[in-house]
Amino acid sequence: MIAQTLDIVTTAAILYAVATGLLLVFGVMKIINFAHGGLMTLGGYAALIATQAGLNPWLAIPLAALFGGVAGMAIERFVVRPLYARPLDAILATWGLSIIIGQVITLVFGRGVQFTQAPLEGTLDLFGESYSAYRLALVGIAAALGLALTALLQGTRLGLETRAVIMNEDLARGLGINSALVRFITFTLGSALAGVAGALITPLSSVDPNMGVPWLVNAFMLVLVSGASLASLLAACLVLGGAQVLVATHLSPVLGGLTIAVLAAVILRIRPQGFARD
Amino acid sequence: MTEARRLSLILAVALLALGAIFAGPYVLDTYSVNVLTRSLLYAAVALTVDLLWGYLGILTFGQSVFFACGAYAAGLVFTHMDFSEGNAVLALALGVGGALLVAAIVGWLAFWHGASALYASVITLVLPIVATQLLYSGGTFTGSSSGLSGFMSFDLSMEAWFWLAGSFLVAVTTLAYIVVQSDAGRLLVAVRENEQRCKYLGLDTSRLKILVYLACAVIGAIAGYIYAGYAMVVAPELAGFVFGTELVIWTALGGRGTLLGPVFGALIVDYESAQLAGDYPFVWQLIIGTLFVLVIIAFPRGLLPVLFDIPRKALGLVRKRPAAPPASVTLSTLDAAETQGEEVGDDGPALAVHGVARRFGSLNVLEAIDFEARAGELVSLVGPNGAGKTTLMRCIADGAERSAGTIVINGHDIGRKPPEACVALGVGRKFQMANVFETLTVAQCLQIARARHARPSLWRRARELPLPEAAMHVLATTGLDRQLSTPAHLLSHGMKQALELSMVLALEPRVLLLDEPTAGLTKTERMQIGAILIDLTKKQGLCVLLVEHDLDFVREISSRVIVLHQGRIVLDGSVEEVVASELVKQVYAGSGHAGIAHESGPSTAQEMPA
Amino acid sequence: MSLMRISRRRLLLAGTVAAGLLAGPALAADTITIGIPVGLSGANSVVAPSVVQSAELAVEEINAKGGILGKKVVLEVADDASGAAGAQKAFDSLIFQKKVDALISMETSAARNAGLPIVNRGKVPYIYTSFYEGRSCSPYMYVNAWVPDQQVAPIVDYFKDKGAKTYFLIGSDYAFGRGMLAFTKEYIEKTGGKIVGDEYAPMDATDWTAILSKVKAANPDAIITSTAGGAPNVTLTKQLRAAGIKSLYGNLAVDEGTAKSMGPDAEGIYIAGSYFTNIDTPANKAFLAAMEKKFGKEMKTPNDLSVPEYEAVYAYKAAVEKAGTTDAAKVIPALAEVTVDGPRGAITMNKQRHAPLTMYLGQVKGDGSVDIISTFKDVDPGEQCPKLK
Repeated sequence: MIAQTLDIVTTAAILYAVATGLLLVFGVMKIINFAHGGLMTLGGYAALIATQAGLNPWLAIPLAALFGGVAGMAIERFVVRPLYARPLDAILATWGLSIIIGQVITLVFGRGVQFTQAPLEGTLDLFGESYSAYRLALVGIAAALGLALTALLQGTRLGLETRAVIMNEDLARGLGINSALVRFITFTLGSALAGVAGALITPLSSVDPNMGVPWLVNAFMLVLVSGASLASLLAACLVLGGAQVLVATHLSPVLGGLTIAVLAAVILRIRPQGFARD
Repeated sequence: MTEARRLSLILAVALLALGAIFAGPYVLDTYSVNVLTRSLLYAAVALTVDLLWGYLGILTFGQSVFFACGAYAAGLVFTHMDFSEGNAVLALALGVGGALLVAAIVGWLAFWHGASALYASVITLVLPIVATQLLYSGGTFTGSSSGLSGFMSFDLSMEAWFWLAGSFLVAVTTLAYIVVQSDAGRLLVAVRENEQRCKYLGLDTSRLKILVYLACAVIGAIAGYIYAGYAMVVAPELAGFVFGTELVIWTALGGRGTLLGPVFGALIVDYESAQLAGDYPFVWQLIIGTLFVLVIIAFPRGLLPVLFDIPRKALGLVRKRPAAPPASVTLSTLDAAETQGEEVGDDGPALAVHGVARRFGSLNVLEAIDFEARAGELVSLVGPNGAGKTTLMRCIADGAERSAGTIVINGHDIGRKPPEACVALGVGRKFQMANVFETLTVAQCLQIARARHARPSLWRRARELPLPEAAMHVLATTGLDRQLSTPAHLLSHGMKQALELSMVLALEPRVLLLDEPTAGLTKTERMQIGAILIDLTKKQGLCVLLVEHDLDFVREISSRVIVLHQGRIVLDGSVEEVVASELVKQVYAGSGHAGIAHESGPSTAQEMPA
Repeated sequence: MSLMRISRRRLLLAGTVAAGLLAGPALAADTITIGIPVGLSGANSVVAPSVVQSAELAVEEINAKGGILGKKVVLEVADDASGAAGAQKAFDSLIFQKKVDALISMETSAARNAGLPIVNRGKVPYIYTSFYEGRSCSPYMYVNAWVPDQQVAPIVDYFKDKGAKTYFLIGSDYAFGRGMLAFTKEYIEKTGGKIVGDEYAPMDATDWTAILSKVKAANPDAIITSTAGGAPNVTLTKQLRAAGIKSLYGNLAVDEGTAKSMGPDAEGIYIAGSYFTNIDTPANKAFLAAMEKKFGKEMKTPNDLSVPEYEAVYAYKAAVEKAGTTDAAKVIPALAEVTVDGPRGAITMNKQRHAPLTMYLGQVKGDGSVDIISTFKDVDPGEQCPKLK
């Protein structure tokens, strides 16, 4: 029971970390960034570089943010911006980019599976259950990410302008907000978060050119059911991530792998606003 | 060009293509015949991606699943039941049936009233992921990751398979070409262009999308069935996301919305990849990815149109393009006896609104709205901005809009019916901003407005367009009948308004909802519209509900005026009563800026700290 | 691969369509061409280079000693993208365009299955050199690698001797994973063990949380896994270690190279196979030295997938020499009769197109090398293709 609760909480935390960047981009730009998986992979390789350079494993996180952010800037400027008026095309183009990122990584680093050093090893005793220490740490990291983003959106001028663009872009522009700049910063931030997510999941898995792909669809579905709110994303991660763990444990892991996608599709069919309040 | 000549030209090209297919095995080496047989079948599936994405506007990542349906039906039946003629028919039936079932489920999920394009795309993205996972978990039944092979199949030569695959591709391409060029095919473009307008023209766009989706599923399944018979192997990657997106790449590179572009895109890229992917496995992917991104950004129409444009531009330097082509459609007035509009209910009100309310969260935009209007009445709805006028219109035209109350049209309760069903009851709605199909011509816009009454042909283009007298009247008065071949986006603002009005009138409505039909029009145009409206109510017996800010205009044409203020009816009476009312003056004075800006829906912007 | 060449190929993209349709390379009659369809990209791309190197070494050695029947041997490598669609293209290209005399390759089961109908049409001998889930049969195909019947027994018998009574099986949901574990389950139950859990995750899954929680709850004496290669296998091992599970751990899908790259997490894993670099025979030492000499720093560690490729080239040579011709109808029966004495020992593919093999049980040490614990001579592949001799 305790093990299962911990599974659910840690799974939700990982999903939350993976989906926040996507959510931010979706909220402001109304496009699903298909390159998110590719950017996560980039973050994973940033962590690999950190390991190979013998840096402190925690430094992988800012390095991954840097990698993701720089790539994000280039993508926004040269691919997403020209396609502002064609959202479906922007989706396709970002997906094409994910192919490019994957192939470039393959050419540079090779196809092989590689490993990074985990910042935390071993298990921790919690409520009489010994549980993977790193997974538990991820709950804290995801919470910190969520709180930092909330603070950024609620407490700064940039956050205010971002929220204005999310609510009504035309009106925000009318009020003198430079929405192009907001979009640029958001995409960069979203991409940096994707890189961070990539670095965060590497200690649990491995680094390979396709590592981001399996996360992509689940992250999409979570963002779609959450609208553009960090709070409803948290709810979606807990509910759908919890459902995934329960189905995987009690029915079959294969069905568990499909749970988030299928459940989210049905939820959206029945309640188009998903977990958002209205 | 006459209709018969146009169709025989298409058939002649198709025959030529068949000839080329027939000659194929004689001029190509065995290797190319083998590779191209598969490419021809993939091209048929790419064609369905183009129909859905290029024509209907549904970006789909999941067409691979239908291909796999047909292929796996053959693989499963031939593996587990042995090959026989009877089983071959059974397998085809199962494949097509399975594809239809899957398509129906996806259609239900993705194409309901109000589903966004993004949502539909994401559903088609989930589809191949689910399908692949199910195939993997099928154990020895589906062969899991290894797929099924070693089954017997039709005993045909390699050449015969090439001919079969080629003829199938030529057949479906020709058929698809004829359909998209027909009157019915134009509906697809109309839905892509402006789905909302289609719904308010009484077209069940969800049903149309599902029908096209089902047809595409069948094409995919048959292609998959032929593939399995030829390749004698089926594998989960046939259903996969990678194949699904490859189809999108081929379509994008070739040129979406051209049919031939995706077909050649699929043939060339797939054939080339057989050559080059072997030599440069990773670089080849990189090239395709880069090319894809470049095409999406720089040549969204794909490469085929670019190729065609080069000679056209070169010729254009020499020869001036002819002026607008002569009208290909002749208008005629529909015999009054043949009009099929909703019968006027016996003596009852044409429109009855009882206790209607509309709330957004805690905000009451409309509250306790009660009124009735008879046929032949022209009721004007006035009130300051934010009074709820447009919201009320929306509630009458779409059963899902209101939060409470009943609305009865010609004696029929609209219940929770979607806009297209309200149109069937006799509602016609003209939007505040001119809402037409920008890329279509005037005649085509009108044809689409008539599609509800005159089922459009799947292969022909109508030369005649009978319209109800009211619509003809508007066209003649405004002179639009002389601009039938002009694309709508080239029309002036006033002309667009007139076009939309005639489109709505072509529906033969009994209750006409007009949201500021004169906004932005010149004085003369305004007078014309006024005269038409009076004519419609007096002679045609329509019930007209008009939202209007120009009180002078209202005074001239209305038979009755309803004043809305803060979501409630504050006055319902004759023109004289309203003009004399002190209350109305206060309402307008209080709001400060009567009749200037457009009314907009409740905006979340108010909650935003500025 | 030079960029110049690539960009030239790009320019020629359109041209090659036409050229490809007309040209078929004319091959001189004094060479024998062996086609190698292999997953240069996709899931197998990690191991594929080692496979190609093995084949290159074999061909170089053979040509240095005068070739086969006095003819020079030429290799044609084609990428099958580790899947069915790519394999169809690769097989088509090798058989009908390059007109190879034989196919020898290590591939995924999906790629092999997709290629077999094309092999049937082209009627060329095909030696499949990858271990697989078993029971794939074609009149043109021989297999010189292991099947479940040969690999499972060493591990399970060893665990039994160590006192294991309860077993938990974990696999990826694909043909190999299911095939291996179905056989394992049957074998464990036959020999008196008890299965306390039997779980499969999606093939690309890298999150094993739910399954590992069940493993902890069941607390088995031993765990046997058979996942997809690469990331799933590695993530399972890492997460299993991170969860603090201490049961005996037998991995049916890990090879020496992967184990080495996993570092300390791999320590203690039991693996069984027909080849480890530590095999102490003169033939293996000579082979490793030759590899080292030919490829130097570029050498990919030889493994259980690449060594059979090396031996299969020699098997084909022996069969052609026995038949006195490259005629497929004569070479195919000869393949069952010839014996190759290679790094894995003396091997004859005489058991229903499969080969009895000497199997080794090993345990991964802290430094990533494999300690060979015991050797099982000539393990029989069992009933694989009863319809074929």
